[in-house]
Amino acid sequence: MFADIVSNLSLGLSIAASPEGILFLLIGAFVGMIVGLFPGFGPAAGIAVLIPLTFGLEPTIAIIMLAGIYYGSMYGGTITSILINTPGESATVASTLDGYPLAQKGRAGPALVMQAVASFFGGTIGVILITALAPSLASLAASFGPSEYFLIIAVGLLMLTTMMGDNKFKGFISALIGFAVGTVGVDVMSGQQRFTFGSPELIGGVYFVAVAIGLFGVGELLHCILNGQHREPAKKLRISFRDKEFWPSKQDYYESRYTFWRGSIIGFIAGVLPGSGATLGSIIGYSVEKKIAKDPEKFGKGEMRGLVAPETANNAASAGAMVPLLSLGIPGSGATAVLLGAFMMWGLQPGPLLIVNDPGFVWGLIASMYLGNMILILLSIFAIPLFVKFLDVPYVNVVPVIVLLCVIGAFAINASIVETWILVISGLIGFAMKTYGYSPAATVLALVLGSMAEETFLQSYIISDGTMSLFWERPVSLVLSIVLLTIIAVPLTVATLQRYRSNRMFSSDDKA
Amino acid sequence: MKKWFAAALFVLAVGYTAYGLTTQSLFTSSGRPAAGFFPLVIGLLLIVSCAVNLWTDVREWLSEHAAGIAHIHQVDTASEGTAEAMGLDTEALDGGPEFGRDVGIVFAYLCGFVAILKITGALLAMILFMLVFLFTFNRSHLVSNVIYSLALPGFLYWLFKILLNASLPKGPLGF
Repeated sequence: MFADIVSNLSLGLSIAASPEGILFLLIGAFVGMIVGLFPGFGPAAGIAVLIPLTFGLEPTIAIIMLAGIYYGSMYGGTITSILINTPGESATVASTLDGYPLAQKGRAGPALVMQAVASFFGGTIGVILITALAPSLASLAASFGPSEYFLIIAVGLLMLTTMMGDNKFKGFISALIGFAVGTVGVDVMSGQQRFTFGSPELIGGVYFVAVAIGLFGVGELLHCILNGQHREPAKKLRISFRDKEFWPSKQDYYESRYTFWRGSIIGFIAGVLPGSGATLGSIIGYSVEKKIAKDPEKFGKGEMRGLVAPETANNAASAGAMVPLLSLGIPGSGATAVLLGAFMMWGLQPGPLLIVNDPGFVWGLIASMYLGNMILILLSIFAIPLFVKFLDVPYVNVVPVIVLLCVIGAFAINASIVETWILVISGLIGFAMKTYGYSPAATVLALVLGSMAEETFLQSYIISDGTMSLFWERPVSLVLSIVLLTIIAVPLTVATLQRYRSNRMFSSDDKA
Repeated sequence: MKKWFAAALFVLAVGYTAYGLTTQSLFTSSGRPAAGFFPLVIGLLLIVSCAVNLWTDVREWLSEHAAGIAHIHQVDTASEGTAEAMGLDTEALDGGPEFGRDVGIVFAYLCGFVAILKITGALLAMILFMLVFLFTFNRSHLVSNVIYSLALPGFLYWLFKILLNASLPKGPLGF
C-alpha cells in the first residue's frame, strides 16, 4: 500500500511540479490569500468568480489553481483577524480571539509568523491524511449503491443546515431551492424537458457557474455594501519582517508543540464530516485547547496557543473537506461544491471511480496541495508586508473589479446573455438569502448534487418497487438512515424539551 | 423586507409545484416514476416549509410591531450566531449602519451594465459601468477614477478576449 502511495504521489508530482503547474499554483495561492484578506468575500465566492479565468487551461492545472485559491484563503483570512480584529472569512473568526490581543500587545509579527507555521502544519497534516484515506474510502465507496449515495447527500445537506444555529429551517429551504433549480432542463431518466418555458438555453439546465457566481460573488458583494464596507476608508497598516520583534520566540513554539497536533486532528475530522467544515473545526479546536489548558484564563488575552489551535484546525479542515469530494464526489461545503462544479465543467466524473479513471488528476491535485502549503508558508511570512499593502486599497475600488469579473466571466462561459441575467437574479437572491439568514452554500450544494440525488432516489425507489426498503435492507444504508434520523430527531427533541421546560417554568411562576 | 422575501419564496414554491403538476406526468404507463415525480416531492416540501417559514417571519414581525421594535440593521445571522457562541461582539464581525439605498443603486447599475452589454460591446459597457459607479461612490478622485475606469476594463478585455480567447460581445466599434 505504501509503495502504491509513493508511486501515485510521484505521478502527481510529475504533473503538479511542472513549470505550468507551479506557475498556476502560485497564482492560485496568491489570489487565495488576497480573497482571504477582504472580509465578507469567502473562498466559495473567490473560486466561483475566478472559474472563467481557467478557460483554456488543462483541467488538472485549472483545478490545482482553484484549489490553491480555496486553501490559500485560509492563510490570508487570518492576517486581518490579527491586525484589525476583522476576520477575512468565517473560518478565521476564532483566530481573532487571541490573534488581535497579541497584536495589541505588540506581538503582531510573531502572531503572523505563528499563524503561517500553524496553517502550514495543519494543511500538511491534512494532506498526509488525504493521501492515506482518500484511496481507501474510494475503494469502500465503489461498493455503494444508489441508496447509500442518496443518503450521503441527504446527511451532508442536513448537517450543513443543522450547523446554521437558529436558522436550520431556512437552511433546509435553501437546500430545497437548490434542488428545485436543479430540476430545470432535461430529465435524466426520461429525457423529457422540465421547466424550460420553451427556452433552448434552459434545455441543458440552469448552468451552475452563473448561479454560483451570482449567489456567492454578487450576493456577498451586495451584502458588504449593505454593511457599508464601500464607505470605509482604507486601513493604513505597516509591518516589516526586518523588525527585531517580528519572529516568534522559542517559548512560543515550545508551548504550542501539542497544540499543533491537536488542532490538526480536530480540524481534519471536522473537515471530513459533511457540512461542518473549517469554521466549526477552528471553533472546536480553540474550545478544546482552552478547556484542556492548565491556564485557561490566559486565553483571549493574547495567548499563542489560542491562535495556533484554530489556525491548524481550519487548514486541516480545508484539506479534510477534499476527502469526501475526491473519494465520493460529494462536497461538504459551499467552496467544495463550487470546486465539484468546476470538476464537472471540465468533464470529470466525480465519484469513487475518479481515482481509478483519472489518477493523474486526483494525485496531481493532492501533490499540488503539498507544494501549495510550502508556497503559502513562504508567501505568508515573506510577503506579509505586500499583503498588508492590499488593505490600503479602499473597498470602493474593489467593488468594480468583482462586478466586472462576475459579469464578463458569466457571459464568457457560453457567450449567453440569458446566463448573465441568471447571474444578476442569483445575485439578488443570494443577497437576500445572506441578509435574512438563509444559506447560499446549501443552495449551491443542492444544485450541484441535485441530478445525482434525483437519479439515486428514483433508482432506490424503482429497485425496491416503491417500498424504499433499500434504505434499511443494506447495512451501510441502515447506518446512514439511522444517522439521518438522528440528525432530524435530536434538534427536534431538544427544542420540544426546552419549550416544555420553559412552559413549566412560566406556569410555576404564575402559580407562585 | 424579511417577510416579503419569505412571501415571495412561498409564491414561487406554489408556482413551481403547480407548473410542474400541469406540465409533467408523475408516473409512466408502466407505473414507474416519471419526470414530474421528483419535482413534485421537492415542490410539496417547499410549499410546506415556505408556509411555515412565512408564518414564523410574519409572527415575528407582528410581535416586533406590537412591541414597537424597529430593525435598524439586519446583520448576517450566521456570523452573529458564531459571534454569540464565541462571546464576540457582533458589530466587530458584521455590523454598523445599513446602506440599503447603496445596494439598490449598485444593483441598478449592474442591471444597466448587463442590459447594454450586447448593445455597446463588452469593453465600452465595462468602461461606462466603472465611470458611473466610481463617480457615484468615489467622487473626490476624478482623475484616478478616469484612469482606473480605462485601465481595469482594458486589462480584463485583454485577459479574456486576447489571452483566454473567450467570447465577449462586440459593439458597433468592433470591440
